[in-house]
Amino acid sequence: MKYLLLLLLCCGPVTAQSEPKAASIIKKVDENMSSDSRVTESQMIIHGRRKSRTVSSKGYSEGYEKSFTEYLAPAREKGTKMLKLDDRLWIYSPATDRVIQLSGHMLRQSVMGSDLSYEDMMENRKLTEMYHVKIAGEETINGRLTWILELDAKVADVPYVKRKMWIDQKRFVPLKEDLFAKSGQLLKRVTMEDIAQIGGRWYPRKMNYKDMLKDGKGTDFIVSKIEFNAPISEHLFSKAVLKK
Amino acid sequence: MKLAFQLAYKNLIGAGLRTWLNVIVLSFAFVVVIFYNGMIDGWNEQAMNDSIAWEYGQGQLINDKYDPLDPFTLQDGHGMLPPEQTKGLTPILLRQASIYPDGRMLTVALKGIEAAQSILDLPTEKLLDSKAALPALIGNRMAASANLKEGGEVLIRWRDKNGTFDATQMTIVGIFDSNVPTVDNGQIWISIEKLWKMTGLQDHATLFIVNNESKIGKIVGWGFKSQESLLKSLSDIIQTKKVSGSLMYMMLLAIALLAIFDTQVLSIFRRQREIGTYIAMGMTRWQVAGLFTVEGSMYSFMATLVGCLYGIPFFMYIADIGIGIPPASRNMGIAIAERIFPVYGLGLILGTVALVVTSATIVSFLPARKIAKMNPVDALKGKLQ
Amino acid sequence: MIKFLLKGVLGDKNRSVLPIIIISIGVALTVLLSGYIRGAMGDIINQNARFDTGHVKIMTRAYAENKSQIPNDLAFLGVDSLINELKTSHPNMIWVKRIRFGGIIDVPDDKGETKGQGPASGMAIELFNTNSGEIQRMNIPSSLVHGTLPKQVGEALIGQEFVDKLGLEIGDKVTYFGSTMNGSMAFKNFTITGSVRFGTPALDKGAIIIDISDAQTMLDMEDGAGEILGFESDEIYDDEKALELTEEFNARFVNNTNEFAPIMLRLKDQNNLAGYLDYVDVYSAMFVTIFVIVMSIVLWNTGLLGGLRRYQEFGIRLALGESKGHIYKTLIYEATLIGIIGSIVGTAMGLGGTYYLQVVGIDIGKYLENATMLMPSVIRAQVTPELFYIGFIPGLFAMVFGNMLSGIGIYKRQTAALFKELEV
Repeated sequence: MKYLLLLLLCCGPVTAQSEPKAASIIKKVDENMSSDSRVTESQMIIHGRRKSRTVSSKGYSEGYEKSFTEYLAPAREKGTKMLKLDDRLWIYSPATDRVIQLSGHMLRQSVMGSDLSYEDMMENRKLTEMYHVKIAGEETINGRLTWILELDAKVADVPYVKRKMWIDQKRFVPLKEDLFAKSGQLLKRVTMEDIAQIGGRWYPRKMNYKDMLKDGKGTDFIVSKIEFNAPISEHLFSKAVLKK
Repeated sequence: MKLAFQLAYKNLIGAGLRTWLNVIVLSFAFVVVIFYNGMIDGWNEQAMNDSIAWEYGQGQLINDKYDPLDPFTLQDGHGMLPPEQTKGLTPILLRQASIYPDGRMLTVALKGIEAAQSILDLPTEKLLDSKAALPALIGNRMAASANLKEGGEVLIRWRDKNGTFDATQMTIVGIFDSNVPTVDNGQIWISIEKLWKMTGLQDHATLFIVNNESKIGKIVGWGFKSQESLLKSLSDIIQTKKVSGSLMYMMLLAIALLAIFDTQVLSIFRRQREIGTYIAMGMTRWQVAGLFTVEGSMYSFMATLVGCLYGIPFFMYIADIGIGIPPASRNMGIAIAERIFPVYGLGLILGTVALVVTSATIVSFLPARKIAKMNPVDALKGKLQ
Repeated sequence: MIKFLLKGVLGDKNRSVLPIIIISIGVALTVLLSGYIRGAMGDIINQNARFDTGHVKIMTRAYAENKSQIPNDLAFLGVDSLINELKTSHPNMIWVKRIRFGGIIDVPDDKGETKGQGPASGMAIELFNTNSGEIQRMNIPSSLVHGTLPKQVGEALIGQEFVDKLGLEIGDKVTYFGSTMNGSMAFKNFTITGSVRFGTPALDKGAIIIDISDAQTMLDMEDGAGEILGFESDEIYDDEKALELTEEFNARFVNNTNEFAPIMLRLKDQNNLAGYLDYVDVYSAMFVTIFVIVMSIVLWNTGLLGGLRRYQEFGIRLALGESKGHIYKTLIYEATLIGIIGSIVGTAMGLGGTYYLQVVGIDIGKYLENATMLMPSVIRAQVTPELFYIGFIPGLFAMVFGNMLSGIGIYKRQTAALFKELEV
């Protein structure tokens, strides 16, 4: 009992101070993780019930609204292009030479059978814009000391109203993230590995997304090449680019 | 004419067994026609009543952006009505959600309805009585496919109007047994107040069940579907059954008529002398033909009487206990009860009597026409013609 | 004796023609109606078999568990070798593969961009393999509203309501968009060769029917299929055979723990059909019994009449010195002959009619105004073994019985009275 009191006393000032500190942590995380624009080459490894498969793609994005993805492999997917502007989505398939427009609800469907929705993939807003943050403790993950941050949404249009992030105290990169429903139910877990320095920032090259309500191994997302704040031609964010 | 009937009656009774065999066969046809149609009408009535009681009410006012056959329209197919227009309307809000029974994901339609409603037979009072955080009702088909039991819990995940995920444990407070699969398959019913809170779509509805049809005027953005139009496909299906059954009892009737025909042919053949006598007594040949025709149609009157004799107790018994319908036909997407109780309308009974009498008269007349061609002298002599 | 009687029967039209005609018609009706009742009552079973369950169905265990979700990711692979094996071991059955799929049908405008779209309810069957019988089985010719059947890859049939809603025409192109067996995006262009209406609103709105080969490429399911259905070659479900086949097949995989190992289900074990099958057996037996009784009464009566017709003749024969017993015996012999001839002719006619109704059916669709036909609109009879003998009950026994009764009159009447009837 005595110890508990002592602990509470110690913690008191920590939480009081943590708001500004938490804000600065999350700002540094944003600096690592978020960018005005980016060009990414990545592989997605989808662990199916039967077999796993890898889909490679190259993606260009600017802000939250604009993104363009071109699939590179496997052969079946090669040449498929996807353009998202606001909540509109167009998909071009070379086999049919057609541009198909999908309405907003399709953004919530899973991408290529993975545990990620289009929405999850396009998420690029700064955490500081979306969430209030506080520090909830510390923990060591894979030998690295982390802060546990609790994020509460301050805007309405976020898919996850609550998040919990484990932030590497030295590199300001999340190593693990839990996504919660409004009710507090854990929905998804993202684990980051293979943290590397890319263009002056720390960035996880491998992430695993797992839907916690379903059985399965989740989906791995591996970044083989990423370029931050590179100039992207506006042309890439127009429908003309699809049919080419 | 009275004489004709008296003669016909005497002749028939005189023929004994032969007459009764014909009468019994014809009465079978009579009873089967009424029984089959009564069953179909009973099914029809019950299916319509069930559909009205469980799903349609007095009609539905449906949001224009919602298409019941396109689940993608669920997201945007809802709206609000000004309070003064919602009188006599019960709102139902539909949202898409996922439930996770035993690590599987099932997409369901989450339907919010006023827990205090009484327009539909759904036992929504159970939602009011429950103290669970999120009480829900499901039908027994849904319960079977998701492996859920009364009192059981399951995790449900949905999104609010902003697309934000939410999830909670839902408690099944009641499993209802409805004959209408379209309020059951893949659906979960909760209180609309809860659903409004869960989604932030306060006062929104996907459709309204209409309590009194006459009050519905034109409302922009909403389309009214009358009870009749909602019931159309159901009555079409039942109509199909009616036609397929009619082929069966028409054949039965045909056989009975064949028997009468055969009897008529023989009796005209054997009673030529009698025919000749009638003509000699001053009747025209057509009058004699009429006499024989009356004799033939007499079968149908007797058959009606005999049919009533055993038919009425049989019909009453069946109407009381109903006819059991096995579960497979209950999963066909249309309303069929476990037991169908036949309905025997006056129109059906009179119509059947008319059918039997008319057809019996026609087949009696066909051989009787021969009389008109007979040579009266030869007939009187009993010469074979 | 028989030869003599036969001569008499055939020679004397009055003695033979009318009774034979009546017995033949009666027997034919008995046979036809029995077959019809079986078929009409079995329509739900038949419908299930054709569209969904087959007589037996093979899926992977995992697919079977989540069947209602159409989980093509759990579909069976290595279909062709399995089918070949089945064809060798059970040559009298027809084996077909099918894939059901969901997705979106997208209609392009002039620029190739989306003009409209709707949810697809897809069905891939062996359209191009004419031996499969799938086109008839799925009732496609009579469901076809406009156009023709697909003849080559890249052609499809589309639901009539969808066609109407988007103003499509035969020859127009639509694009299917959905996901492959592995979850990747699937695209394929199809030329519409025809539109279909099945009567279920969901199907008419989003139906797309394509050949299985198209679906396999489109959904990345090379050598795969969601379901393999087995049908008896006469398209009639035989539960005993199906049970035997199922047990034998499943025994082979009993020690295989793989969730993608195949499992065979018979019709009775699917869609709650067990209860219905028993119901059909009981009720059709009941109807057939009623019918045979009715027919027996009618033909009994015919027998009575047949006897009565010949009282004059008996009178003469008695006068000529024939014994009553002999006349009675020949009467019964003749009745037996007539009964046999009538029953054979009638059974043949009835079977022919039943077979015709089994193959062609009665399309009651035209009696239904603008009907949406969830139920099959073509009613088919069913030829069953009992049809071969059932007609003889009324045709032979009832007829002979009737003659026996009326023949008693020979003994009752005085020779003189009989002879008097000959009076000219």
